[in-house]
Amino acid sequence: MSDERRIEIVMPQMGISVAEATLLGWVKKLGEPVAIDEPICEISSDKVDSDVPAPAAGRLVEFLIEVGATVDVGTPIAIFEADQAVNGASRAQDAKEVSASEPSQAPTADDAPGRISPVVARLAAEHGVDLADLAGTGAGGRIRKEDVLAAAAEGPAADAHGIQAAGTDSPGQEDARVSEGAYVPPPREPLSLMRQTIGEHMLRSLRTAATVTQWIEVDFEMVQARRRATGITALPVVAAATIATLADFPDLNAWLDGEDYTRHRDVNLGIAVSLDERGLIVPVVRAAHALDVDQLAVAIAELAARARAGELHPDEVHDGTFTITNPGQFGTLMATPVIAQPQVAILDIEAITRRPVVVDDGQGGETIAIHSMCILGLSWDHRALDGAYAARFLSTLRARLQAPFET
Amino acid sequence: MLLTRAVEERGLSLYKQGRVTGSFYDGRGQEATAVGATFALAAADPVCPLIRDLGAHIVKGTSPAAILGHYLGRAQGVSHGREGNVHLGDSERGVVGMVSMLPGMMPVAVGMAWAFKLRGEQRCALAFFGDGATSVGDWHEAMNLAGLQRVPAIFVLEHNGYAYSTPSSRQFVVDPLERAAVYGMAGVAVDGNDVEAVFEVTREARERALEGGGPTLIAATTMRMHGHGAHDDASYVPAEELELWAGRDPIEGQAARLRELGVEVEAIAAAVRTEVDAASAEALAMAPPDPAGVLEGVFCEGEARVVGAGAAPWSGFAPA
Amino acid sequence: MERVRAGLMERTYLEAISDGLRVALAEDDRVMLLGEDIGAFGGAFKVTAGLQQEFGADRVFDMPISEEAIIGGAVGAAIVGMRPVCEMQFADFVSCAFDQLVNVAGKLHYRLGLAAPIVVRLPSGGGVGGGPYHSQNPEAWFMHAPGLKVVAPSSAADAKGLLLAAISDPNPVIFLEHKYLYRRIRGEVPDGHYETPLSAQTVREGEDLVVMAYGAMVHAALEAAESIPEASVRVLDLRSLVPLDERAILDAVHDCAKVVIVDEANYTCAAGAQVASLIAQRGYEDLDGPVVRVATPDVPIPFAPALEQAVLPGAASIAAACRELLAY
Repeated sequence: MSDERRIEIVMPQMGISVAEATLLGWVKKLGEPVAIDEPICEISSDKVDSDVPAPAAGRLVEFLIEVGATVDVGTPIAIFEADQAVNGASRAQDAKEVSASEPSQAPTADDAPGRISPVVARLAAEHGVDLADLAGTGAGGRIRKEDVLAAAAEGPAADAHGIQAAGTDSPGQEDARVSEGAYVPPPREPLSLMRQTIGEHMLRSLRTAATVTQWIEVDFEMVQARRRATGITALPVVAAATIATLADFPDLNAWLDGEDYTRHRDVNLGIAVSLDERGLIVPVVRAAHALDVDQLAVAIAELAARARAGELHPDEVHDGTFTITNPGQFGTLMATPVIAQPQVAILDIEAITRRPVVVDDGQGGETIAIHSMCILGLSWDHRALDGAYAARFLSTLRARLQAPFET
Repeated sequence: MLLTRAVEERGLSLYKQGRVTGSFYDGRGQEATAVGATFALAAADPVCPLIRDLGAHIVKGTSPAAILGHYLGRAQGVSHGREGNVHLGDSERGVVGMVSMLPGMMPVAVGMAWAFKLRGEQRCALAFFGDGATSVGDWHEAMNLAGLQRVPAIFVLEHNGYAYSTPSSRQFVVDPLERAAVYGMAGVAVDGNDVEAVFEVTREARERALEGGGPTLIAATTMRMHGHGAHDDASYVPAEELELWAGRDPIEGQAARLRELGVEVEAIAAAVRTEVDAASAEALAMAPPDPAGVLEGVFCEGEARVVGAGAAPWSGFAPA
Repeated sequence: MERVRAGLMERTYLEAISDGLRVALAEDDRVMLLGEDIGAFGGAFKVTAGLQQEFGADRVFDMPISEEAIIGGAVGAAIVGMRPVCEMQFADFVSCAFDQLVNVAGKLHYRLGLAAPIVVRLPSGGGVGGGPYHSQNPEAWFMHAPGLKVVAPSSAADAKGLLLAAISDPNPVIFLEHKYLYRRIRGEVPDGHYETPLSAQTVREGEDLVVMAYGAMVHAALEAAESIPEASVRVLDLRSLVPLDERAILDAVHDCAKVVIVDEANYTCAAGAQVASLIAQRGYEDLDGPVVRVATPDVPIPFAPALEQAVLPGAASIAAACRELLAY
């Protein structure tokens, strides 16, 4: 085999800010014929999953990292053998070729240090750190408590057994049969990488922020009137009103990172999008303050659709300055949303319900009418601001949403 | 004395029935010494009895049922199951129980008496010990300190001639009574089987102590009519020696004296038998201690309780 | 009156103990001091200097050379309401009174419900050229005997506070006062009556490793910690050995994961062995390395300074143990 046919597959950079990514699984087995651009493996960075296409027609001949491993961008992950010698102009230009004699850097199970102290074992289990992935800094390479804590602080390592490689044998699945009569405990399954990531972010937020949630009830008659007139749903309308209100409340359109407080002029509006069982993603409408409500509606719809299709670019989930979440579409009444760090607030739109309310009868008296009502919740960080400020924001937002809509 | 012997006989019987575990010790033949000496004490005078001194507990007011319950290791026994055999002491009645390291309570008795003297209280402390214990350093250290501080203490030597199996001739050269003068205290010899004589010398010793005359060593000569414990057949004691002392039984001697005075001794004996039968039934009905509490009480939490006052039949005092 | 009105006064460890005795004698008629040569002479180390003159020969007693009678007499006085404080001339001599402590005083409450509130002061420890019979640390003998409390202060303030706490305690308390610290350690000591709880105290913060020690070894441990600036070394002063502050020990293990336990006493079955046992049993999952003990080897304390220094733990040997464990 000529050296020209061997191609080193490296971990791609999934967005300009990404420094590392995790191998979710191999799509192709070793030796299986692969066409050019056919996916050979799946990877994940931050919240975005992607595949890695084959650089040429050929086959994988060696895996250099294990499924579940998180490695720096640019790290070799596999050796690919092309059917034909690759020209310098081919798309393999991104991949560095290696000599066959160069020793593999792949860690193996045998590299895991043998002596695991009690606290290391406990902390690794608590933080989901795979000790096989850790390089110890103790005597003789022993993994120390500090090593596990450092790994835990960097984020959860993937469970090496957590993700079944697509297209590979999965003998374990056959064991799931239920034998008659005897109770078979349900299988313990590892948390998906996305769930681990979300969980880590949420916990970090709750540990970091002094989260307070306030609610306000808003009469949505005017919001509904606009929807009837223009077809624009409540979410973009509330989003537009929120962006307009944030201009008067800059403390809420901000990041708080330790003692650094950054009030943004632009509004990069995060919109929480449910991916059903898979999890949640928050794509960001950049420079949302420059969009009118129609443009906002289009932008939100487009981002949500691509999020659900798994087609977001990694950088489309970064740099939000304020977030809106919209669980109300499922009919819920109240929530205490968790702030996306390092933002300082998140707005929650609950269900729009038809309810009797006391209204002005237009003749100097009051009467009871049936109106569309909605509860808006705002979780905010008490480190950054105080309750009166947040309450004034909600009150101003309410006034804006209740203002008469003119076609 | 009758009660002492009856309780010990019942205890021995229970032991031989296998209902009392561990070992069993009695003071048969020595009842007059413990009873006579303790009888001379006032209510507030604490006593440190030894192995053969069940009579001291009884005179101080510990009930036969509580003693039998103690032998049986029951919750309502004197020691609530934490101690057995002769290791009992109802401190609320002024009895400070013994330890096995003899004569470990001698320095303690000196300390109590010393405190009474320092505080100007009209009280004394009494400690019993055997001839074997006089070989131990504690004994000499306690005697020395007692003489030095002239504490109001009474030391009652129960000289029965044997330390377990070893006769006095192989224990010491100088008779313990002669040592009293060495430590600067009065020494008095008495027939340990004559309860009235023991009472009288103890009463005098107490008066001397309270008047500032310092401690007294009373050497009461007596005989242990059983082995050291129920496990000891005392075969090392010559039969003729036991025969000689059998003729000097303290209870028989006192009974003869009382009959001459017109006392109906048989009626007293019958009453004692009835009392011990009832006490025995009561003790056997007592519950065993709850193991759940076995770790409690190693340390005192709260106020330290002090030694209380017991019965003083001679003075007519009885505790509430 | 030499008492100062201000709340604090700088005193040596020895002066703090003297002051504690003076406070106790002044405020409580039940307190009496028993010991050899403690009266006119003021004690072998002058801890009781002036107390007999101040409080009288019927409060401060020169006793015959009879440890058994000193402690036995104290037990007797205690069970009828006194609060005797005994001085052993050297801690080594307490073995003569072992019976009264272990078999009489310690078991009284459990057996008879009768508490013996006595304090036995033990001038202990080596580093003073005392040789085999004037250098011992006998605390573990008494830790093993139920019913005896055992405390060992390291600072002047704790020496007085623990002494007054010991005198107030309804139980027999063995009070280890370290001879080496008598005149070498000084500190601010509150005036009047105060009591130090029978619990451990963190005397130096740190999170990479904790050194647990008591008595003079606390100072050696502090010196060792200072000599390792590259690591964050905590020092826990145990202060009380019975009761042992198990919570503080386990918390420190939880925080630091590496632990060095120091005893000046001989290695086998020393107080530190009990601490190590506790950690092995209940702190196991917090450990990131072996539990390391530094103690005097199982030899009598030799006389010549070169020999004595060769066996006693010091800052250097503690620091070496720390470094090795930190690198583990």
